[in-house]
Amino acid sequence: MTTPTMAVKVLRAPRVRRGNISFNLSLAVLAVMTLAAVFAPLIAPYDPDAVDFAAIYSGPTPAHWLGTDALGRDTLSRMIFGARTALLGPLLVVVSSTIVGILLGLLAGWRGGWIDSVLGRIFDVIFAFPALLIAIMAVALFGKGLVAPVIAMSIAYAPFVARLTRTLVASERSRPYVAAYRVQGFSGGWIALRRVLPNVTPIVGAQSTLNFGYVLAELAALSFLGLGVQAPTADWGAMINEAQAGLMGGYFLPAIVPAMAVVIVVVAVNVIGEELSDRIGGGIPA
Amino acid sequence: MTLLDISRYTLDLPDGTRLLDGVSLSVAAGETVGLVGESGSGKSLTARSVIGLQPRGATTTGSVRLDGREVLGAPVGDLLTLRRSSAGMVFQDPRAGINPVRTIGDHLTETLRLVERRSAADAEARAIELLRAVRLPRPEDHLRQYPHELSGGMLQRVMIAGALTSSPRLLICDEPTTALDVTTQAEIIAVLGEQRATRGMGMLFITHDLNLAASICGRVYVMNAGRIEEEGDARQVFRDPQAPYTRRLVAATPTIAVAQPAAAGTAADATTDVAADAAPAPHPPVDTAPHVDLSPPVDLMLDVRSLSKTYRMHGKPPVHAVVDATIEIARGGALAVVGESGSGKSTLARMIVGLEAADAGDILVDGAARTGVPRSRAERLAHSRSVQMVFQDPYLSLDPRIPAGRAIEDALRLHSTLSTRDARTRVLDLLEQVGLGERHAPARPRTLSGGQRQRVAIARALAIEPDVLVMDEATSALDVSVQAQVLDLVARIRRERGLTVLFISHDLAVVRRVCEQTVVMRNGEIVERGATAALLEQPQHPYTRLLLDSVPRPDWDLDALAAIDRTEGIPA
Repeated sequence: MTTPTMAVKVLRAPRVRRGNISFNLSLAVLAVMTLAAVFAPLIAPYDPDAVDFAAIYSGPTPAHWLGTDALGRDTLSRMIFGARTALLGPLLVVVSSTIVGILLGLLAGWRGGWIDSVLGRIFDVIFAFPALLIAIMAVALFGKGLVAPVIAMSIAYAPFVARLTRTLVASERSRPYVAAYRVQGFSGGWIALRRVLPNVTPIVGAQSTLNFGYVLAELAALSFLGLGVQAPTADWGAMINEAQAGLMGGYFLPAIVPAMAVVIVVVAVNVIGEELSDRIGGGIPA
Repeated sequence: MTLLDISRYTLDLPDGTRLLDGVSLSVAAGETVGLVGESGSGKSLTARSVIGLQPRGATTTGSVRLDGREVLGAPVGDLLTLRRSSAGMVFQDPRAGINPVRTIGDHLTETLRLVERRSAADAEARAIELLRAVRLPRPEDHLRQYPHELSGGMLQRVMIAGALTSSPRLLICDEPTTALDVTTQAEIIAVLGEQRATRGMGMLFITHDLNLAASICGRVYVMNAGRIEEEGDARQVFRDPQAPYTRRLVAATPTIAVAQPAAAGTAADATTDVAADAAPAPHPPVDTAPHVDLSPPVDLMLDVRSLSKTYRMHGKPPVHAVVDATIEIARGGALAVVGESGSGKSTLARMIVGLEAADAGDILVDGAARTGVPRSRAERLAHSRSVQMVFQDPYLSLDPRIPAGRAIEDALRLHSTLSTRDARTRVLDLLEQVGLGERHAPARPRTLSGGQRQRVAIARALAIEPDVLVMDEATSALDVSVQAQVLDLVARIRRERGLTVLFISHDLAVVRRVCEQTVVMRNGEIVERGATAALLEQPQHPYTRLLLDSVPRPDWDLDALAAIDRTEGIPA
């Protein structure tokens, strides 16, 4: 009775997939960025911190493809090294917020009742604060650097993951296969952790990749404000900050290069995330 | 004059799959034509093609002429005209086909106002007239109601009224009663028949139910795998099928006719044997327990005493799902619980398997108390060894991620201390018992057919070696031929293992094949109980009679049915 007939299935069949080109292109971009970050010392033409007063604000030249900044440091090299913190931060945030969020969401969705209500209100409170604000607070309390903002961002993003997980688990809980496990004599904890959790993880995971881009932009903003990674370590946000002075003098390149890097990676990650959640989760909006 | 004429119609998907292969079919004005087939036979696709609803990108050859005009390749404008004037369609699930946030009045008057440019008052008057025509009790009130306020049967009448607004010359009904209870089905069929007669419409009636087709159609076409297998006079096809496929289908279709010997099919033989063997003797042939035949004449396996369950929701009157239900099944016996949706039969099953707690009453399985939801590990395991359940929809009751063999192995290892190798051997053994093989063990549910999935579910239940097997509508989601196979399987397992079965169903014909004893439930109460054959031949309670009269048969008398409907006044 509830089984769709063939006609319905045919009419419901997904349309021919579009956007494969942009998906593959995004994967390539991300792969190149990751490789650049991992092998930065081998690829970068210069030491990112090497000061060269002979070549201050040099435009694009054969020696410096993307020019130099106010201290004569090679922009390309700094961008390549900057990719390390730029990618590492969001990666840590996405992984930790996904783990914490899935566990809390599973607890809320599976147990329901007062646990669900209490966790739900706690999430609401965290939602009320912008992630950036929580990160700034963490920096004020624990000092500048990468660690405090990453922990703060993980806390700020966990409720997004938890809320999605909770909804998925709650709907999964009422499905007959869960009742079938119960009738067979399996314990609730076993069903939740060993059977329901693996069934919802792919969907949640695909959604979480979308967070990567947001976190990257926000961490860059934080170091632009001087609260993130500290000088002289190369970082995209910090580079934009340092290049501000040059903008007045008409030297755009040192600011535009890291800014473009942020935009390109964020767009690439979002394309990948959306495609993944389309393929795995049937396009549940974040 | 021919209203619909489909000739050598072939439909291919862009990937080359041929869904329809040389379908030819015709419907004349005033005629009811049945299109019968199992799921995937292409019957719905054929019907949808008539109003130009082909799948995207499909290539078609042949012709589909409606009211003298070609539908295939017709421009969108012409299709709209055809849909507005020539053909109306009634779909299977009325709740899915109506906008839940708009009133019934909106739904019905929309076409009249926008297409026929009638004034609001005029459209409303016409809508009331239509609602009266489909015999809804209070047409004026219904116009202001929302879909959720109406029952499935009432909503299907609204959908029929909606299809009739444009006074179509051809009415296409795509399984219009499949989602409905059998008594509601009878009412809907009566309404459809009446409208067809008064309007002189042609009707193309699509169904999987051969009994239903034979009872209301003049001619039928039997479809299988995109081809027409047989066509001809409905009763002729039903009584004396020519094509091998139709013969198999007729043999597999359960019937409630008691006197008539089982149709000349292999499928029916095995099951009738069981019923015949078990009915006269108090004990079934296989009975391993040595009897101390002193006090209890019958050895009760399942003993449910005065079980009750009431659901209380905020701001609503309490729902008495099960009221004082008492059932007994002897060791190795099979009892059917028959009832329509909302009769409480599923709640009864869920209490017995420990998914829900009872408000009052006791459940004993083989003398051990099994009332309530088990809490501790020991309770859980004991309960599940007492009772196992096979669920209605095998598409949902198997974990989509877990391969068939693994699902059975999990259940085995929870209840025993078998080594991995022994467990694997046992899994293959169980798979073979339900008619599957080694190659099905690594298969995920998605790659198995409905019947195969239900076999896996049965094997999984048997792995635990329960005392009682509860089957909750376990065959109602399956095609008739698959259903027959699964029923045969259950009969064989009963013979071989002496398994005690509680069989929950809405389908009296299926029950007749499986169970010696039957109870009939209505609104949470057991209204009649007895031996299945006796109950079907001489029903005592008026509700049982109504149920029996509502089951479509080739010699179905619609007028008598309508008379019963009116005198009994069964409330919704």
